[in-house]
Amino acid sequence: MGMILEVKNLTKKYGGLTAVNDMSFEIMRGEFIGLIGPNGAGKTTLFNVISGFEKPNSGSIRFDGMDITGLKPFRIVNLGISRTFQLVRSFRYLTTLDNVSVACLSQRGKEISNIVGINNYASTLLASVGLIDKARLPPVILPHGDLRRLEIAKALGSNPQLLLLDEPFSGLSHEEAEGIISLINKLREEGLTIFITGHVLRELMNLVPRVIAMVQGKFVIDGPPREVANHKLVLEAYLGRGEGFA
Amino acid sequence: MLTKIRQLLSIYKKSIKNFFPSLKAGTKNIIKDLPNQLNNVKMRIFTFKSGLTILCLIILILFPIFPETEYYISILMYAMIFAILAASWDFLVGFVGQISFGHAMFFGISGYSGALLIQNLGISWFASIFLGAIVAIFLGLFIATPCLRLKGPYLALGTQAFALILFNLMLSQKELNITQSFTDLDYILQYFILMGFMIISLSIMLIIVKSKLGTIFKSIRDDQICADASGINTTKYKLIAFIISSFFAGIAGGLYMVKISSVSYGNFLPLYSFYAIIMAAIGGLGTITGAAVGSFIFFIIQEIFSELFSASGGQMEAFANYGPVLVFALFLILVIRFADQGIMKPAVERLKELFDLLMGR
Repeated sequence: MGMILEVKNLTKKYGGLTAVNDMSFEIMRGEFIGLIGPNGAGKTTLFNVISGFEKPNSGSIRFDGMDITGLKPFRIVNLGISRTFQLVRSFRYLTTLDNVSVACLSQRGKEISNIVGINNYASTLLASVGLIDKARLPPVILPHGDLRRLEIAKALGSNPQLLLLDEPFSGLSHEEAEGIISLINKLREEGLTIFITGHVLRELMNLVPRVIAMVQGKFVIDGPPREVANHKLVLEAYLGRGEGFA
Repeated sequence: MLTKIRQLLSIYKKSIKNFFPSLKAGTKNIIKDLPNQLNNVKMRIFTFKSGLTILCLIILILFPIFPETEYYISILMYAMIFAILAASWDFLVGFVGQISFGHAMFFGISGYSGALLIQNLGISWFASIFLGAIVAIFLGLFIATPCLRLKGPYLALGTQAFALILFNLMLSQKELNITQSFTDLDYILQYFILMGFMIISLSIMLIIVKSKLGTIFKSIRDDQICADASGINTTKYKLIAFIISSFFAGIAGGLYMVKISSVSYGNFLPLYSFYAIIMAAIGGLGTITGAAVGSFIFFIIQEIFSELFSASGGQMEAFANYGPVLVFALFLILVIRFADQGIMKPAVERLKELFDLLMGR
């Protein structure tokens, strides 16, 4: 129990542009949190820094009490944080089963696959996202919704404690999104901490009990969805300022 | 300047520290997966492709029985040596996605070290091949440490730069002829020894790429960022791949050195790097066996051209000397234009269709 992720004064600049500006927040184990902000707010950059794909300019990230700032991505995965990508990535010339197997071959994933066997482990993960019948197919022929499921299966291969889902609903039809939502709820039942981003307020508002709002890299508010949705700065970011009307 | 040198030194120190764990990890993985692999082998033994392979091997083995094939056996011997080199290149490029334009340097350094060891320590030609290949591994680590930080064309150029430097260093060296040699053996025996090396080397490479280690390699090739995000230490595995690739390139280089019984700058010819590339491309990247097919086709066509030009006499005879480079250039154009996936896969598919037709399916 307790705090699983602690982000303190995190700042990431690209030249003159400050993508993440002094962000601080805490996530407790088992929580289900959303991160919202309009496009360009810095959500993906924040995920990139937490998962090790970018180094922050200043600030720190602690995972389960351990300082993970600046560690390489594969090390962070093997400590227990998995992420998915906004634009789905997969291994083009491998079968979907092999796609998942790769994550099962990570150091952390091997702890499980050494016991149950890698094929069993990967198959179980594929089955849990509902893609087992497409095990031998290449990812290129899968529809977008299935690709998102595959991404989640791959992220689960390394047996994470914290799952970062970057805009998992973008490009999905209503049914496909419903499927992902039920998958997420299943994962929550197993105790996984899930941190999810999105820029469409409606999806997240009905889904997560707590939302962090981010505008232009800066922290705006952290609270229940209703409160966040009514916050002045959040409304301004999405709807614009009301001045200049007759 | 000094800080850059210090940085480079610490990088090398780190990679040397990583070397034995990497090696241990790599071999442990392969050995652990072996029972599964043997099962896979059983399942694959009775496919059309394996039948075809066995047929080709039988033809190769029975070839010396036919009369007046001595001259062609010599060509086939070189084809087998370069098959190993091309396969080692395909291993690195077709399966891990790391492009090397300097494989000739592993080919050469292995022969050079082997020759020195024979000369100064009196070891056998057989040992010199393996010891030379181990030297090639160390060269591979030396090169890989800076070069693997580069991607795509820059990695290719980086490896090529090192290869050219080595080649230039060797230009000033005298040719070294080894006294005790492989060529003292009976011609046919040489042929079968080389065939044995080729079959074993290619088999080992095939086993590796079809194992779970191969899956990891392919993931790095397909999307390195995704592989990182899946928890794979891509740096470590790229290093392991480089070690394996340079080892087999070294085996090929050692075989070449004992076959020609000498080592000079000619063992380091940059052209040989491109031979490996074109042979693997002809056969098809990402197949291993395709590289061998490419090598044989390359040498056979080269021989045909060479004979055509010599026979016609007069002006054409001059071209006979340029045979190798001409064939290489011609093949490069044809492959890029007509068979960019290699010719082996389509050819095997056509043959399978023909076979099915004949079998009435």
